[in-house]
Amino acid sequence: MKKGLFSLLISTFIILYFLFLPIVKSSPILREASFTTLMYIGLAISLNILMGFTGYVSFGHVVFFGIGGYTTFTLLYYYNFPLILALLIAGILSALIAGLLGFVVLNLRGAYFAIATIGINEAVKALVNNLDFLGGAEGLFFNMKIYKAYGGPQNALWLSFYLIGLVTLIALIVSYFIKHSKFGLGLFSIREDEDAASTLGVNTKLFKTLTFMLSAFFPAIIGGIFFFKNGSIDPQSAFSLTKSVEMIFMVMLGGLGTILGPVLGAVTYDKIKEALLVSETFKNLHLTISGIILLLIVLFVPEGIVGFLRKKIKPLKNILD
Amino acid sequence: MKKYIALSLSLSLILTGCFNKKEESKTQSPQISKTEKASSKDYIVIGYTESKTGKLATESREQSQGLKLWAEDVNKNGGIYVKALGKKLKVKLISYDDESSKDRVQQLYTRLITEDKADFLISPYSSGLTASAAVVSEQYGKILIATGAASDKIFKKGYELVYQIYTPASRYLKDAIDLLKEKYPNVKKIAIVYENSNFAKSVANAAKKYAKDNGFKIVIFESYEPGTSDFTTLINKIKKSGAQAIIGGGHFTDGEALAKQINDSKLPLKMVAILVAPAIDKFKEIGDAALYVSGPSQWEPKVNYSPKTVSGTFFGISSKEFVKKYEEKYHEKPSYHAAGGYTAGLVLQKAIEDAASLDTQKVKQALDNMDIYTLFGHIRFEKAPYHGRQEGHKMVIVEWQKNPSLEKEIVYPKEAATNNYIPYDKKFKK
Repeated sequence: MKKGLFSLLISTFIILYFLFLPIVKSSPILREASFTTLMYIGLAISLNILMGFTGYVSFGHVVFFGIGGYTTFTLLYYYNFPLILALLIAGILSALIAGLLGFVVLNLRGAYFAIATIGINEAVKALVNNLDFLGGAEGLFFNMKIYKAYGGPQNALWLSFYLIGLVTLIALIVSYFIKHSKFGLGLFSIREDEDAASTLGVNTKLFKTLTFMLSAFFPAIIGGIFFFKNGSIDPQSAFSLTKSVEMIFMVMLGGLGTILGPVLGAVTYDKIKEALLVSETFKNLHLTISGIILLLIVLFVPEGIVGFLRKKIKPLKNILD
Repeated sequence: MKKYIALSLSLSLILTGCFNKKEESKTQSPQISKTEKASSKDYIVIGYTESKTGKLATESREQSQGLKLWAEDVNKNGGIYVKALGKKLKVKLISYDDESSKDRVQQLYTRLITEDKADFLISPYSSGLTASAAVVSEQYGKILIATGAASDKIFKKGYELVYQIYTPASRYLKDAIDLLKEKYPNVKKIAIVYENSNFAKSVANAAKKYAKDNGFKIVIFESYEPGTSDFTTLINKIKKSGAQAIIGGGHFTDGEALAKQINDSKLPLKMVAILVAPAIDKFKEIGDAALYVSGPSQWEPKVNYSPKTVSGTFFGISSKEFVKKYEEKYHEKPSYHAAGGYTAGLVLQKAIEDAASLDTQKVKQALDNMDIYTLFGHIRFEKAPYHGRQEGHKMVIVEWQKNPSLEKEIVYPKEAATNNYIPYDKKFKK
């Protein structure tokens, strides 16, 4: 089988599993748990498009999650836009902002780029904090009436869930096609040696900017869905640096630059946290324990889960990606 | 070998996660069972999340300690009497860590409702997390007592089952204005200076409107940037304007600096009421500059709410008793977060007793009609248009006085007061 196809199939299967399990069981608990899982998968895949394919580590990637959240929320809150349209606008706006920002910050490399992205996130957070229109530090809160258009809050939560599944799936497919296109090849050449790539005729600036835009598109939509579902938004939760770090961690845990990696990384990370969080015995120690487990993984499996499987299980070497 | 162990560890965790879920779904019905058999009920289950980790951990821990103390008190007395079941039911608290983040609040509240079968819910700490929890509680028709959430905005959302314990932000400085009006009818000119942060801004805007409605003239309404330490220009303006009282502030550091510099200017003011800073014990470090500076607080360990000091129905233990019990159990002074946690439990208890049932609609009715005094002060909820918003509770006004060392005294409202209000300019009169 073609190298990437196998990974794409497994990834799709995992996403569909989390999407359909709650539907089949019609269980709200499973829905809530799977929502978080799918959200993490989606975020990890998006970041991987930039970080895994071009090697640019964006430490402030959550900024697009926040921008999307605020755009969607504002469109619904003030102008009563339909959700799907608002989400699309959020995605496009976020991508455009990424395009503009990318033009400037993608000239930086390595640690400088990482620090610049943190700066962007903090700047946007400070801006939103001071904009009364966006509710300032306190944020905006939906009226329950907003959910009426979607069949009440109960249905709105289900709708959010279907949407997050759909977006995650699309993000996966897009990331697969990027990786296996000429465009993707260009990105990998940038990752390996940007100057050489440039000399060989890869329009690195354009490639990087486009990738940055793509990787900003999905988090914005995911942010929009997340805050729609939460019914409120505030700068602290929209631009939380912790989430950025979690995203990076999930990508690295699963395997940088692979298709299956971010999916596995996100599921592993989320499930470890979730299992500990609600376990009778461990719920007071969950952070310590998950910290130790994650440390062990990083220490002993630095190449990520996918890299590890490829190395250790021979038959997987050529089909896992 | 090690690598295999690490891998199998992570894989086993993934699998456990998945399997746990399957078991969960077996044991639960998709819809909440509204017809729980009355006789089979032994406990009243109260669910909430606590921020055990993350930035809200301190306040949230105190809130949850207060709540736990309440549950202990109730259970010591055999529980809450539910007339419809003809017996006393003990209270069982179930909580999870929400990590101070919105990410899992809804997930955990859904779990509390569907899996743990919580009868009633208490909010997480902070307005943001409470808003997320409320979406879930409302859709499942569960009552959520919101403590640790002072935002007004939550109550614009059209919620039917969310009830607020704290005085909302819009009324933070209202009582200071009331006090001023009551004590000094001749004072007409107020200066409002506030930090340019959202919280202070919303408080200042509300205070401005309230003061105007009460016949005051706002001679200065100005903001300063967060982190400001030099207020000379602002104070000169105030001097020229002839203001007789200053209200405003923002956070601790700027409030402290503002108090110091107003003190240096020796302005003849009847009141200097500042947000946040005077309510914090550390404020006395600025020495005499703190003298007669006042400020609002949700609650203070010194408040004197007991059946003897209030005019209406008093429910539960007095504030003094609460402080004693809390100190015995946790070896620290209770903050207003702790008192809020205890009160959340009390309010629920009173509502269940009044409703004589665990039925949500009946308890909701009891909450809507509630008008009581507790160790936290007056509790009454608005009906419309901000259903559930706190309208009974008053901020207490604290003032730093000398007797003989600097002490934080409560000067307003009367029911809680430990001393009389002393005008700010008294310190400049020999």
